[in-house]
Amino acid sequence: MSLETENLFSQSTAATDLKIKIIGVGGAGTNAVDGLKLDDLGDVRLAAINTDAQALANSPIAEKLLIGRSITRGLGAGGEVEIGKAAAESDRDAIARMIADTDLIILIVGLGGGTGSAAASVIAQVAAKTEALVLAFATLPFSFEGARRKHIAEESIGELRQIVHGLVPLPNDVLLQEGEEDTSVLNAFAVADRWIGRGVNSLCAMLLKTGLINQDFGSLRSVFHDRGGKTIFGTGISIGGDYVKHALDDLFQCPLLHMGDRPAQLDRIIVNVIGGADLGISKVNEIMSDVSKRLSTRGDVVFGAVIDESRHESLEICILGKADMDRVPVAPSKKSTSMISGLGLETEISRENTRSKPVHSSKLRRKKEVEANQDEFTFIDVEAQRGYFDKTDRNEYKGEDLDVPTFMRRGIKVKIK
Amino acid sequence: MSHSRVVGAVEIGTSKVAVLLGEIIGDSGLNIIGHSACSSKGIKKGVIADLNVASDCVHAAILTAEKNAQTRIDEVYLAQTGSHIQGGFNVGTTNVSSPDGVIRSIDIDQAKEEAKRRKLPNSRTYIHHIQNPFSLDGRQVENPLSKEARCLQVGYWSVHGDSEIVSDSLRVIRGIDLDVNDMIISSIASGAVILQESEKENGALVIDIGGGTTDYVLYRKGYIVKTGVVPVGGDHITNDLSIGLRVGRKSAEEFKVKNGRAFYNSADRDEKVWLFGDLTIGDREYPLAAITKIIEARVSEIFDIIKEQLIDADLLVPSDIASGIFLTGGTSRLTGIEEAAKRSLGLDACVAEGPQDVVDELRQPEYSTVLGLLHYALTGQEESQSSVKPAGILRRIGSLLNFD
Repeated sequence: MSLETENLFSQSTAATDLKIKIIGVGGAGTNAVDGLKLDDLGDVRLAAINTDAQALANSPIAEKLLIGRSITRGLGAGGEVEIGKAAAESDRDAIARMIADTDLIILIVGLGGGTGSAAASVIAQVAAKTEALVLAFATLPFSFEGARRKHIAEESIGELRQIVHGLVPLPNDVLLQEGEEDTSVLNAFAVADRWIGRGVNSLCAMLLKTGLINQDFGSLRSVFHDRGGKTIFGTGISIGGDYVKHALDDLFQCPLLHMGDRPAQLDRIIVNVIGGADLGISKVNEIMSDVSKRLSTRGDVVFGAVIDESRHESLEICILGKADMDRVPVAPSKKSTSMISGLGLETEISRENTRSKPVHSSKLRRKKEVEANQDEFTFIDVEAQRGYFDKTDRNEYKGEDLDVPTFMRRGIKVKIK
Repeated sequence: MSHSRVVGAVEIGTSKVAVLLGEIIGDSGLNIIGHSACSSKGIKKGVIADLNVASDCVHAAILTAEKNAQTRIDEVYLAQTGSHIQGGFNVGTTNVSSPDGVIRSIDIDQAKEEAKRRKLPNSRTYIHHIQNPFSLDGRQVENPLSKEARCLQVGYWSVHGDSEIVSDSLRVIRGIDLDVNDMIISSIASGAVILQESEKENGALVIDIGGGTTDYVLYRKGYIVKTGVVPVGGDHITNDLSIGLRVGRKSAEEFKVKNGRAFYNSADRDEKVWLFGDLTIGDREYPLAAITKIIEARVSEIFDIIKEQLIDADLLVPSDIASGIFLTGGTSRLTGIEEAAKRSLGLDACVAEGPQDVVDELRQPEYSTVLGLLHYALTGQEESQSSVKPAGILRRIGSLLNFD
C-alpha cells in the first residue's frame, strides 16, 4: 500500500475540456482535499468550503469559500448542524458561483460535525440545479466518537444520498481495519483520506488519461445517471510478484465491499485499472474476467484501463457500483450470459493488435443479463457474506446496534494479513 | 388421559429446533423415549422471522421425534426466548386482617393477587409469575401461614413477552394440531436441569448462550430473582468473523469451531491458521489473533451486558452468587468461554455438565433447555415456583389465538 497518490497525475493529461472540481466541505473534507493537492493536476480543480476562517486560511487549496460569516463570524459551526445549515443557506449564491460551469463535482466531506454534515446537502442541492454529475465521498465517524455524531452522520447521509448521483460512505470503523496494527486514531483519519485519494485519483485518471481502454465522461454518467440509490466503492492495489492476482485479492478483501448495508445487487458497475507499461491486454483481460465473474449486475459493466508509464509491475483496481433506489427485482432472464472475458474484448483487441490505439469503451460494453441462480447477490460467493442480520430489526442496546460486530464498534483493529 | 402421557418438549431455537419426547408415568417417573433436532430455518435472534418456513421445520422435527419414539405427543411444553421477553419485580402487600395478627390463607392469597395484579399493555402477555419469599414486617419467611405479623408482603419476578411473537410460536405448534400445555422461558428451563438444589440455595447464575440469544437466570437463596435475554449469540460471533476476516459464513463458522477462543492471547499474533487447510486453491492463512480478538470483543460484550443488568438491579453480589456462573447452550462449547465469563463478571465460572441420568447425546449443552422443559412437565411449575397454573396458561393461549 505504499503506492501513493503523488505520481498519478504526473503524466500530462489528455487534452480534454472536461471540467472536474473536487470540493472539500467542512474541516475533515478540506483536510482530505489538502492531501490531494498535487502538482500538474491539469483540468482538475480543487476547492474548499468551510465555516472556519482559520482552517481555510491554513489550507493550501487555491479556491476557498468561507460560508456563513455573518452567522459564525468565521469561527466554525462548533459541531452544531443548525449553524452549519444556516451558514450554507446564507451563501447559496456564492456556492452556485463556485460550482458553475463544471461537468463533474466530487464532494469530499466528513460527516458527524456541524459544517460538513449540513453544508454538503446544501451544496448538493445547488449543484442539482446545474447539469453537473455530482459524486460524494463521505466519511462516517468512529463509533467511539459517540452516539450524537453518529446520529448526525446518519441523518446527513440519508439526506445527501437523495440528491447526489453517487454517494460513497466510508465508515471510519471499517477503514480502521486497514493499515498497520498500531494505527492510532489520528492515523486512522489519514487512512480515510488515503482511501478517498485512491478513489478520486482512479476516477480522474480514468477520465483524463489515455489508456488501453478509454472511458469517457459519458460512461461515468451512464453508470450514475440517476440520483439516489446506493453506491459501493472498492479498491485493490499490489506491487511486484503476481501483482494481478494480488491486486484482485486485495480488491475483494476490501472492507468497503463487505459492509452489512451493502445493496443486495448492483445495477451498474464501473471498473478502472491503472497499471504500468507492462500491463498487457491479456492481463487486463484476466482482471476483467475475474471481476465480472465475481460481481454480477443487472446492467452494464464498464471497464477502463489506464497506463501510467511511471509504474512498473504495479496495479491498482478501483470499482464503483451503483444500485438504484427502490428497484423492484426483475425476473432474471435465462438468456445465456456472455462474460466479458475473452469475447468482445479479446477479439476487438487482438484484431487491432496494438495497444497504442485505444479501443472505445462502447464496443466493450455488453448488456449483461443476470443469471437465474445469482439473482439475489452481488457477489457470487456472498450468500453468506451478506450481513447476516441485514433484514432483521436493529438490535438496539444503549444507543448501539448489537448486530454490528463488536470489534468495529469498539475500534479494535484486526489485522488479517 | 391414561396413566401415562407423552410430553413433547420443543425449543424453537435460532440454530436448531430440538424436540424431546418424554413419557411421564404417574407422578414421578419420566422416560425420554425419543428426540430429534434439525437446523432451524426462518428464525433469527430467537424470534420467528418467517412463519411458514419455521413451521415446516418445527413440524418436521416433531414428526421425526414421534417417528423415532413410535408414539404420538399428547401435549407440548414450549421454550420462549428473544429480546421481546422482559421481566420485572412486583411486590404485593396486605395488612393482616385478623385481630390477633395471625396470618390466614386468605391474607396470603390477597398478597399474591396484589403482586400479580399489575396489568400489562395489550401487546404484552405474562409468561411467568415466579414467586419469591414472603416477608412478615420485613422478616423473610418461607411459609407465613399461622405466623403473626401486621404486614405481609410477597414478591414476584414476572416475565412477559410480546403477544404477537408469543402467539406466533404457539401457532406453529397449533399448526400440527398439538396443544401447548405450558411455555417456559429458556433460561429457567436450562437452570432447572443444570443446577442442584444446593447450588440454587447458595446462589448461581446460569447463562445459556445459544445461536441467536443469550438467556440468563439468577438464583439467590434458592429463588429466581432475575432473568434476562441478550439478543446476541453464536450467530453474531460467526457474523463478526465473516465480516472481519472477509470470508463466507461457512468458513467463519469453521474458524469459530476449529480455532475459536473466547479471549485473546498475545501469543496468538504469531500463530497462523489456514482457511481450509487442504492446500486447495484459495486457501490462505489468517493470524489466530484476528480470530480471537474478534471473538473476545463479542463474547466479553455479552457478559458485560449481563453484568450491567445485574448491577442495575443491585444483584451482582458475589457472596449471594457463591456457586458461581454455570454456562450452557451451544456456544458454551467455545474454548475459554468460562475464562471470559470470569473476567467480565468477576465470579467463578464453569461450563455446566449435563444431567447424569440421560444418554450422552442429550448431555450436550445444546439440550439443556429441552431437558429443562421435560423437568417442568414432570414436576409441574407450582413446585418450582413458576406459578402460572395450567388452567391460566390455557386461558391465556386461548385468548391469544382467539379460540375458545
